[in-house]
Amino acid sequence: MRGDLLTAKALTFRYGDRDVLAGVDLRVGEGEVSVLLGPNGAGKSTLLKIFSGLLRPHVGEVTVLGRSPSSYGRREMAKILSVVGQDPPLDFPMSVEEYVMLGRFPHQGFFDAGTAEDLREVERALAMTELADLGARGLHEISAGERQRATVARAIAQGARVMLLDEPTAYLDIYHRVAFYEIITRLKETCGVSALIASHDLSLCAEYGERIFLMSGGKVKASGTPEEVLTPGNVLAAFGVAVLCDRNPATGAVRVTPQRKA
Amino acid sequence: MRGRTLVFPLLAAAFVGAAALSLSVGPVQLSLGQVFSAITGGSAGGVSGETAARVVLTLRLPRILLGVLVGGALSSSGVAFQALLRNPLADPYILGVSGGAAVGAMTAKLLLPGDSFLPLPICAFLGAAIAASAVFLLARRRSGISRERLILMGVIIGAFLNALIMMMVALAPPGRIPGAVYWLMGDLSLGTLGRVGMLAPYVAAGVVLLFLLSRGMDLLLLGDEAAFQSGLSVERVKTAVYLTASLLAGTVVAVSGLIGFVGLIVPHGARSIVGSGHRRLLPAAFLLGGTFLIVADVLARTVGPSGELPVGAVTALAGAPFFLYLLRRNGRKP
Repeated sequence: MRGDLLTAKALTFRYGDRDVLAGVDLRVGEGEVSVLLGPNGAGKSTLLKIFSGLLRPHVGEVTVLGRSPSSYGRREMAKILSVVGQDPPLDFPMSVEEYVMLGRFPHQGFFDAGTAEDLREVERALAMTELADLGARGLHEISAGERQRATVARAIAQGARVMLLDEPTAYLDIYHRVAFYEIITRLKETCGVSALIASHDLSLCAEYGERIFLMSGGKVKASGTPEEVLTPGNVLAAFGVAVLCDRNPATGAVRVTPQRKA
Repeated sequence: MRGRTLVFPLLAAAFVGAAALSLSVGPVQLSLGQVFSAITGGSAGGVSGETAARVVLTLRLPRILLGVLVGGALSSSGVAFQALLRNPLADPYILGVSGGAAVGAMTAKLLLPGDSFLPLPICAFLGAAIAASAVFLLARRRSGISRERLILMGVIIGAFLNALIMMMVALAPPGRIPGAVYWLMGDLSLGTLGRVGMLAPYVAAGVVLLFLLSRGMDLLLLGDEAAFQSGLSVERVKTAVYLTASLLAGTVVAVSGLIGFVGLIVPHGARSIVGSGHRRLLPAAFLLGGTFLIVADVLARTVGPSGELPVGAVTALAGAPFFLYLLRRNGRKP
């Protein structure tokens, strides 16, 4: 067992009087690709925001590399952990390359922005997300899917040890969904980057995820390997949908197919 | 990225051209040669060299210097408020910040004797900062600040502050605030070296501070959450940007009154030339702002057969339609 990268213990978080998280326990190991699955409103985004230090839990404890997120300086934290969230639209002209370069902020002092290393990292991130040809384009000139990939590229350029991703494939077509999970796998294998992904892609998560946390009603209802978690009973309890769970004959991974209501 | 290296020389050339125009045009028409010799202390034909020197050195040059400081500071302040609020329509005048500064400056003029060097800009700065926080707080909803709501609150607070100013003018003892109405319309005609000296340190401090905050302002464009997760101390940077932008707008108002829309038009133009990165945008906006206001002032001085228009009227004539254009285009891409 590798060391714990992220842990949550008995985590509770409320918006007003609604418990969004009601006693979440979870551990993410270093070098793992983990997935948060669950219906809308299950608390996945809130959990990611607590790990990134944006929200503080009302009860319970979270750690990032053994320390509370609030104990880190902002730049120090950004070097450990990068986030792909749902950002508001940008009202100012900016090229894809400039946008991805913003990810280098934690590595830059005031007088050494845009160093050769910065440029190299930005180029690498653009190449990985297949955006190299669009670097000079304006963000408002590209499609929603390309913008989403640019956000992933910015997080890659940030060069953190773990990436938290909140529905990073929402606007992507099937080709780019697969490409996204390939990128995450490659980052893990070549740079040892871990990932915690909130997603709705059940079958793709089963294919690429090493550990799955199934959340519903502010709790982790099941966790483990895709085979352990993705069972018809678990999926029905969490999503209220009857599914067929079998194996992909080509890869052997769990395959989740929704059943039409009778 | 096109013509990256040429942009700043071109902006500087435009500025020099505008300054030369402003030095030569007016009731006493001077050739560029006369202007040049007046500045360098040589002699030239035509109008007596002494007159030319007096016109250039004591009337027009201080006015240009004041125009540069005012135009540059208002543009920088506009850039800062726009990054802070992620709203390309933000401008110190439209946000009611300038109105707050005017109330602060009037209060100082009423309560304190003379053209006090220190209290006047400080009171204007405080007025600006208070008005800005009032507008932000009133416009804020749980979901954030919508851009239309922000403008609406700015207009309402601005109208209220304007009424306050009118009341202060009406109730002031005669002669206590001479030229107040003209000053309120935005005025560079009081450009003296003394006023330039009064404003320069604040503008210099404000511009340098903003430049130091430029990377942070880049990240603010992404939104608070993304900026935070990218490693920015969001609250600290936002507070610094807000105070600096208020300082620039406030001290400018204290010296030259309410000149609107410069902080709206110029940043927009500068962004279309150098992009949104603040390291380049801030210097470009400062240069362009100075140039813009000098040209506006030339128009204000020369448009009528006798007397002159407040420069604020000229900038509003250009700015209000421009604002409508931006607002209409708004739902679409930047």
